[in-house]
Amino acid sequence: MDCNGDESATVKIIHIPEKPPILPHCQPTVDVLASAIEPKHANVLVRKLNHIAPLEGLRHIKRIRKTCLDGGKNQLFVILCMGSRNDGETTYLPEEVLELVNTYQLSTFTTKVGHLAYVMLKGLKFCFLCFVEMMSCSHCYFTPSHLIQVCKYAALTKEEWEEQCKLWPTSFHPPTYNIDGITGFSEEDSSSVLNFMKLAVSMAKSCTSVVNAAVIVDPSSKHVIASSCDEVQSCNPLTNSTHMESCCSGANANKMEKDPILLKCSSSEAKQSYDNISCLRPWGWLEQRLHLRPDSWHPLRHAAIVAIENSAARDRRLFPLDGHSAELAQEDCKVSSPIGSPLKRQKTYTNVKDDDERMECHRNGSLCDSTKPYLCTGYDIYFVWEPCIMCAMAIVHQRIKRVFYAFPNPNDGALGSVHRLQGERSLNHHYAVFRVLLPEHILKTVLLTTATKVDQCTTQISL
Amino acid sequence: MSEVDVFMKLALEQAKLALDSLEVPVGCVIIEDQKVISSGRNRTTETRNATRHAEMEAIDALLEQWQKNGSTREEVALKFSKCSLYVTCEPCIMCAAALSIIGIKEVYYGCGNDKFGGCGSILSLHTDSSEKLASGGVSRKKGFKCTGGIMASEAIDLFRSFYEQGNPNGKGDGEHFFRPGEACSCPCAGQPILVSIRV
Ligand SMILES: [Zn+2]
Ligand SMILES: [Zn+2]
Repeated sequence: MDCNGDESATVKIIHIPEKPPILPHCQPTVDVLASAIEPKHANVLVRKLNHIAPLEGLRHIKRIRKTCLDGGKNQLFVILCMGSRNDGETTYLPEEVLELVNTYQLSTFTTKVGHLAYVMLKGLKFCFLCFVEMMSCSHCYFTPSHLIQVCKYAALTKEEWEEQCKLWPTSFHPPTYNIDGITGFSEEDSSSVLNFMKLAVSMAKSCTSVVNAAVIVDPSSKHVIASSCDEVQSCNPLTNSTHMESCCSGANANKMEKDPILLKCSSSEAKQSYDNISCLRPWGWLEQRLHLRPDSWHPLRHAAIVAIENSAARDRRLFPLDGHSAELAQEDCKVSSPIGSPLKRQKTYTNVKDDDERMECHRNGSLCDSTKPYLCTGYDIYFVWEPCIMCAMAIVHQRIKRVFYAFPNPNDGALGSVHRLQGERSLNHHYAVFRVLLPEHILKTVLLTTATKVDQCTTQISL
Repeated sequence: MSEVDVFMKLALEQAKLALDSLEVPVGCVIIEDQKVISSGRNRTTETRNATRHAEMEAIDALLEQWQKNGSTREEVALKFSKCSLYVTCEPCIMCAAALSIIGIKEVYYGCGNDKFGGCGSILSLHTDSSEKLASGGVSRKKGFKCTGGIMASEAIDLFRSFYEQGNPNGKGDGEHFFRPGEACSCPCAGQPILVSIRV
């Protein structure tokens, strides 16, 4: 809380957008056909054009542009329709647009600028009047209209927008979505994000070798719903359950909030192997050698997969089917083989917080229904390493709302590094993705040396 | 009836079991040496775990069995490399990744999955791409042979039945496959056919 104020000031949370960042001046463009118009016709022309030649997929493009000519006179230009610039071919002008052109005598526009005035931009000559590349504009050829370029996609950032407007004005709506954080985090939220990330990091290094960890959090209550480390192999030589509980059940979230310096670790741990981080090396399960018991490995039990399993188990425990009491359902859970866990490793839960929650549900049955979660709708998940494609898709299925990770995964990262699953529009659910840049001193104490190396490597790739 | 059809029929039977349990009807079988060695069906509703797809169920059952028999990881990897999976619907991105991770030999599927298919529809995780692995990345991506369209109409018929009887997770009258504000709410059945058969 307060004691984390200094830390949260140094934590950086970066939104990883749906499409890869493009340098502002390299944005893709499309051609449209434009013409100069008389100001008195502007309103009616725009209205008619929007009706007969809507700009499909270009809602961010403004239909009208005002350009200041030399001598201080303003000239209006309007986009007539989409254009296609096939070498030398004349753009097809829809009949209705052609009618408008004739009606409003748009063809009479012939400013005698000719080839005399131009500006140099990026080595090309542009018409002085409309900034269209020389020789292809109406001012050069005295034709009624000409092709110009406008930006194909709406700007995501102010920088992109400013660059776009140099071509043709666009509108800019800072992304709002309905997901908190995309437009920034409050200090309180940053501090909370940092705390949960630190919990994940502490779990990731709690085993003899560093593994990935996943923590599922309900941001509205700031409760840990479920969590897990990788269980691709039994990485933990301390197989006694108490350690597992404190390390992996997430029950220590409260303690965590009071103990900001949770990440003290001995320097002997600094030299650790990172071969066992499942999402970094999904295909490496065969080569990993570490404290193996014959029955304690599973190539698919990445941290997220197990965390989802734990949250589903919690869901079944706290919100049993109608007609069952919570106790009965808990009995069911114990008796029937744990679904989805072939390894019989699921422990009987005696999480105090869960019990409290369940008691509350008991006292107020109606509350139970309204608070019953649907999968992980509305929940956040924290990863130490960017998840692989399997895990990234698993959390789509489970309806996670926001994903936070500390380190990118250049091998198989699915949220920006290799794939960008958050940009697959066909999926039936979308989450927002953030990278948490841990403060320097935490990085130092945690000293995930390889992670930092991997990090640098990715930074180079992406820039 | 070809061998492929015989095995796909078994997968369809698994899908029917799912349907009977009010689950999204997807089923699969795993074949080794012409013999069914594992099967699975969707259990996402029962488990409230949307990752419990048929493929994951069948893989987990197999791993449990092999580990019980004391197989080493090397032996398990070798066995997987000789196995074929028959599934009624194109594996989703998650399952396709999982099948690649375990190193399955080949996959036959029924209908395609235009919303989250991982074997060609959205991503192609089955193709053996020696993608840019960062320095030190020892992992070897494994592809697998993939053939779609096996008895696809039977698989789609099951989805249609499910659609008509109603999705227990969806709100509404047995016609709704969609939760408010969401696209298709079933984990592995985002096939466009489901949208288009709506009358
Ligand atoms: Zn993973
Ligand atoms: Zn799947």
